[in-house]
Amino acid sequence: MRLNRRNLLKSSACGFGYLAAASMMQRHAKAEGGNPLAAKSTHFPARAKRVIFVFMQGGPSHVDTFDYKPLLEKHDGEERTFDDARVLAKTKTITKHRVFKSPWKFKQYGECGQYVSELFPNIAQHVDDLCFLKGMHTDGVAHGPATLFLHTGSINFVRPSVGAWVQYGLGSESENLPGFVTLQPSMGNGGPRNFGNAFLPAVYQGTAVGRAGVSAKDAKIRNLSNPMLNSNEQMSQFEALQKINAIQKNSHPGDTEMDAMINSYELAWRMQHSVPDILDLSSESQHVQNMYGIGEKETDDFGRQCLMARRLSEAGVRYIQVNYGDNTNNPRWDQHSNLEKHADHAVKVDKPIAGLLADLKQRGLLEDTLVWWGGEFGRTPYAQANGTGRDHNPYGFTSFVAGGGVKAGFSYGETDEFGHHAIQDKIHMHDWHATLLHLLGLDHEKLTFNYSGRDFRLTDVHGEVIKEIFA
Amino acid sequence: MQISPKTIVFILLVQWLTLSVNEHVCAEDASAEFFEKKIRPALVQHCIRCHGPKKVQGGLRLDSREAWQAGGDSGAVIVPGDSQSLLLKAIGYEDISLEMPPRGKLPKETIEAFQAWVRAGAFDPRGSDDPATPANAGAPTIADGKQFWAFQPIRKPNAPETDEIAWPKNEMDRFVLQKLEASGIEPAADASRESLLRRLTYDLTGLPPTPSQIEQYLSDKSDKATEKLIDRLLQSDHFGERWGRHWLDVVRFAESSGGGRTLLFPDAWRYRDYVINAFNQDLPFDQFLKEQIAGDLLPANDRLDRERKVVATGFLMLGPTNYEMQDKDILEMDVVDEQLDTMGKAMLGMTIGCARCHDHKFDPIPTRDYYALAGIFKSTHSLNHSNVSAWNTVDLPFSPAEEAVFLAAAEKLEVAEAQLAAATKVWKKATGKSAKSTKSVDPVTLSGVVVDSVDAEVIGNWKDSTAVAKYVGANYIHDEQMDKGAKSVVYQTELPESGRYEVFASYSSGANRAKNVPYRIKHRQGEAVVEINQRKAPSVDGLMESLGVFEFDKKGGSSVELFTTGTDDGVVIADAIIWTRVADPAAKEIARQQGGIEDATAEAKAEALKMKVAAAKTEVDRLTKEVKAIKKSTPKRQVAMAARDVKSPADIHVAIRGMTHQKGDLVPRGVLQVAAWDGMPRVGSDSSGRLELAEWIANEKNPLTARVIANRVWYWTMGRGIVASVDNFGTTGDRPTHPALLDHLASSLIQNGWSIKKLVREIVSSRAYQLSTRQADDDQALDPDNRLYWRRDRKRLLAEDIRDSILMAAGNLDLAVGGPTIKNGTSSEYGYQFQGRRRSVYVPVFRNRLPEIFEVFDFADPNIQGGLRTASNVASQALLMMNQPFVMEQAADAAQRLEKEHPGEKDAMLRRAYAEVLGREPREQERQVMMDLLVTNEQPGGTSEWALVYQLLFQCIDFRYLD
Repeated sequence: MRLNRRNLLKSSACGFGYLAAASMMQRHAKAEGGNPLAAKSTHFPARAKRVIFVFMQGGPSHVDTFDYKPLLEKHDGEERTFDDARVLAKTKTITKHRVFKSPWKFKQYGECGQYVSELFPNIAQHVDDLCFLKGMHTDGVAHGPATLFLHTGSINFVRPSVGAWVQYGLGSESENLPGFVTLQPSMGNGGPRNFGNAFLPAVYQGTAVGRAGVSAKDAKIRNLSNPMLNSNEQMSQFEALQKINAIQKNSHPGDTEMDAMINSYELAWRMQHSVPDILDLSSESQHVQNMYGIGEKETDDFGRQCLMARRLSEAGVRYIQVNYGDNTNNPRWDQHSNLEKHADHAVKVDKPIAGLLADLKQRGLLEDTLVWWGGEFGRTPYAQANGTGRDHNPYGFTSFVAGGGVKAGFSYGETDEFGHHAIQDKIHMHDWHATLLHLLGLDHEKLTFNYSGRDFRLTDVHGEVIKEIFA
Repeated sequence: MQISPKTIVFILLVQWLTLSVNEHVCAEDASAEFFEKKIRPALVQHCIRCHGPKKVQGGLRLDSREAWQAGGDSGAVIVPGDSQSLLLKAIGYEDISLEMPPRGKLPKETIEAFQAWVRAGAFDPRGSDDPATPANAGAPTIADGKQFWAFQPIRKPNAPETDEIAWPKNEMDRFVLQKLEASGIEPAADASRESLLRRLTYDLTGLPPTPSQIEQYLSDKSDKATEKLIDRLLQSDHFGERWGRHWLDVVRFAESSGGGRTLLFPDAWRYRDYVINAFNQDLPFDQFLKEQIAGDLLPANDRLDRERKVVATGFLMLGPTNYEMQDKDILEMDVVDEQLDTMGKAMLGMTIGCARCHDHKFDPIPTRDYYALAGIFKSTHSLNHSNVSAWNTVDLPFSPAEEAVFLAAAEKLEVAEAQLAAATKVWKKATGKSAKSTKSVDPVTLSGVVVDSVDAEVIGNWKDSTAVAKYVGANYIHDEQMDKGAKSVVYQTELPESGRYEVFASYSSGANRAKNVPYRIKHRQGEAVVEINQRKAPSVDGLMESLGVFEFDKKGGSSVELFTTGTDDGVVIADAIIWTRVADPAAKEIARQQGGIEDATAEAKAEALKMKVAAAKTEVDRLTKEVKAIKKSTPKRQVAMAARDVKSPADIHVAIRGMTHQKGDLVPRGVLQVAAWDGMPRVGSDSSGRLELAEWIANEKNPLTARVIANRVWYWTMGRGIVASVDNFGTTGDRPTHPALLDHLASSLIQNGWSIKKLVREIVSSRAYQLSTRQADDDQALDPDNRLYWRRDRKRLLAEDIRDSILMAAGNLDLAVGGPTIKNGTSSEYGYQFQGRRRSVYVPVFRNRLPEIFEVFDFADPNIQGGLRTASNVASQALLMMNQPFVMEQAADAAQRLEKEHPGEKDAMLRRAYAEVLGREPREQERQVMMDLLVTNEQPGGTSEWALVYQLLFQCIDFRYLD
């Protein structure tokens, strides 16, 4: 019999069970007594300290934005055979579709000469700071599955979200704030599961500020202010509570859980006072607000989100998700018919995102902040049902990243000549998750959590770190 | 010697072989050079990282000749000389499901090099330094597995002797005490009676004791006081609400499907009520398990018993399923997987799901066992498919009286609907109106005899659709591209006269349709089969296509059959068949003349027509009303989420690496070998095998079942399992701290007819349960984690307890029992307002939306099977208790009630509030703090100072913990 750790444990007196229980207790004790959000050491030096994920819900079309395909124009209107993901999954057949050229013109920008369509004139000004990932592909043909896959690395199983893993791996930099904040998340397509902790301890779940469908002006963390009591009443009640809890704790000496409960009230009290300040944008100069398009009709809402994201990142939040979405089954960028509506969405996000990039850069934050832009999938280069829109395309699409340790003015990977399949330097969503963790100093194969008898990871048994994009 | 032809062949062969051997020797150098130059570097650069010693993806290694000769999960990958070798297909990106390397196609030259290499015989000089370990290395065998404690038969142990005799209150206590004595640990004192009352009341009913119950119990000084209390609590209807909820955690109960496009489960409440009733009536636990797996297959005493047992199988339907998934084969296997996983963890404490892709690495569960079990659930009908599929439902039986009313009404409805259809036809004919929809063509407007799909005999499951134009009548039907060959549609009619007819088939064309849909026409001379390409738009009005001209007899009926055999390339559409008389020239002339006569009388006819239209319209209106009225008065058939067997149960293949579309061996349906015993019944070919599965699980011989539930009962009362990992009794789970005690509990459970209440009574009547939570320093040092139960662990109130207790203090808790609880008219969980005041067990449990108080206080995540509640201490809990309107409103109501019902001295009022919320008297120090708070906030107009007190009590440590 080979003597390895497993066998040794089996044969030793206490056995694996005891060790497992002991380590569980330790983790438990740590989670309860110590601060589970305390900053933790990384597996290797981190290139980025935090992430801002700008989520474009619904699937923006890559061939109409950043992945320029001149062939679409040349063959516009022709019937060609494409292995459409939806048709294939449903009927296991391959059918013909009408090639559909982009209604928008492309132009080259910056020193790197990256093509950008007229949908994103402002983001286009920053291409020399961006790293385009044009060989993205993912799992899931429908929104629900693909959105969950993007956020949790699983279509059908309940798994912790990326932000929860990051918080579990790194802890929080702030005493007064949660480490994972999602701004105005969608309640659809998986809803809270997209920022949930699943089997990780509850403390790692994302904290929602507002939700999709509510104006960013009114976006708040719930229960952060008291609707009924005046400040004197609150203060006297809180002071009395601290005294009562101290008395009750004393009748149970040695029980660290009591301290954890008392600490949770203290943190809550501090949050009540610090969070509203962070989310209050009025202290920002007019100049900065203008950069984000705040005050302009089309861009005010998303501009506020982007500016809040910057303020949260300054305050030490590790993982911030900015959501451009809604609560429907056909979220915003989902143009199955009437592709032209992409322009409405582009207008709303283009300037705020450009503002965020510029602002992070001018404050030196871009160096250790990883900005990630993308949707749950791309769209087909052909028209859906011979109409005026494009269907979902998980086979190939584009995301871009910037800042924290990635090459600037760089483009990696490509799709085929029509933009249907990623073919070269492909990055599966699992690969991207592995890469993102790596940039934060975490080894995706070592960041595990034992649940239900085995170790789980964000990337399951997949994922390859794409070192080629590292600066 | 005569040389036979055989010998000649032999000689030639030898010569050729000799030659080729020589050639081979010469060629080897070239082959070696080619391999070293072109192939080895490519393998190292592109393949071996995943197909080498480190990862062995797909069970395949390419780092030595022996390794690739052994093949991978999909079999041989390199067949020397064969240009169709799997490796070449994979690197050629010929099959989308197998593209290697996954991150991008190799350069053209490299692909060509591999092609040349394989064609030339795949010369490979690499031996294996590191003998390839089979993928299953490390997986325990069944025989080894049986040695593991959890798979050993349960034997009733004798209760051990202990030095101390007075301490044990029952047999169970002796198992606990013996370990304490052996470790030299002195048990803690008994809990105070106040603490014990609160502990028992919450543990058995999930509610706090009322002030009058406190008074009654504390004033009863008899020895039997606690015994009487336990009896009362076990008999309370609230027992089932509390304990049923425990089970609902274990089986991931929810009232929506969750995931992306979450769907409501409007009938899930029936299963919830079934569970609550089962605990209240103390249904033997083995029976309880059997009913959940195979209730529909068990005999029933009467209608209500049948209903109960059908509802029980809702257990299988309630999973977090992504019904939106487009590949329905994968969806079906995912549902099977979820059912197996839940059943395994809930009932057997086994993580069976691990064996879906590979032999279980730690437990003796080979992949074959997984697919033996999976075959049972694959033979169980759980899903009804559509773009967004749905769970199966079963009609619940009516009472005989209801049934009679229903049948009578159904008959009346049928008559009325037929009359309405006829009247509508008359009316439309009179007005010359065709159906409004441009998609649909009214059959009345077609000349000839029309048999629409609704009037045809439909064999197999066909799905109604109106998605694609054009079609005849209300809709068309399609075969969902499933069960090819098993589905068909027969159109029969009596033709008005014998003669020649052209037969037309209508269908809505589309790109996903089948290209060769066969129609069999029975005519005077025999049969003809004509195939139609349903991808092509029909040539007649874009509606129908001719099947040809045939002669038919008036007598004996005529028929056309549409079938689906060989139509694998797409969906088959069945709509209408139209027989159109092919007139001879003479008949045409007669018709023309008749037309002339009609012209002459046209004006007179117009007036008559007008009258006819009006009369027809009146009739249509009358019948429309009648149909509505009948529908309204017909009792609605109730349905349950429930399982049934499929029509043809069958074994299934192993799916290699869990990939549904990669088939391995066919495995006979069965159970886990490691926990099987001799003489178990085999699964027959005419049933799913759920009954056999249920009999195996709910069996006293099964080493896992009784242990797993006894351990759960221990956890639900004592706060920590004897096996701490309550859902995992495998080798990666925890070992029992008290194996003999666990077997004692399991065997007494079986002895007592699987009565849960008797087991609960034994545990809560024990000394061990009734100890104080106080910690003694010496013991703390010896056993800091209290693994030996020398004291009572402090338990936390569950989220439901917190909500129910707050409502109860406010006098607002609605104690109604059972029934549907999702608000009428709810179509989605998103935005659902949880405003009810019923007990928490009756609050709808949605997978993406829970009441906030559940969410923050660690309510069981209904997305995951999990018998353990986590216990976090996070700021969001504190924020909720400080600021959530619900908490403050209830505190205000409680204050108002206190001021109204118990006005008096502040001291007395405070004692009342403490009794209601904490079940005890205030301590002197506490009294002072509270008095200060009261005095500080005693001003008219503001919030009641008593509301501040109640809210504070809801926030404090002693409310959240059970002493």
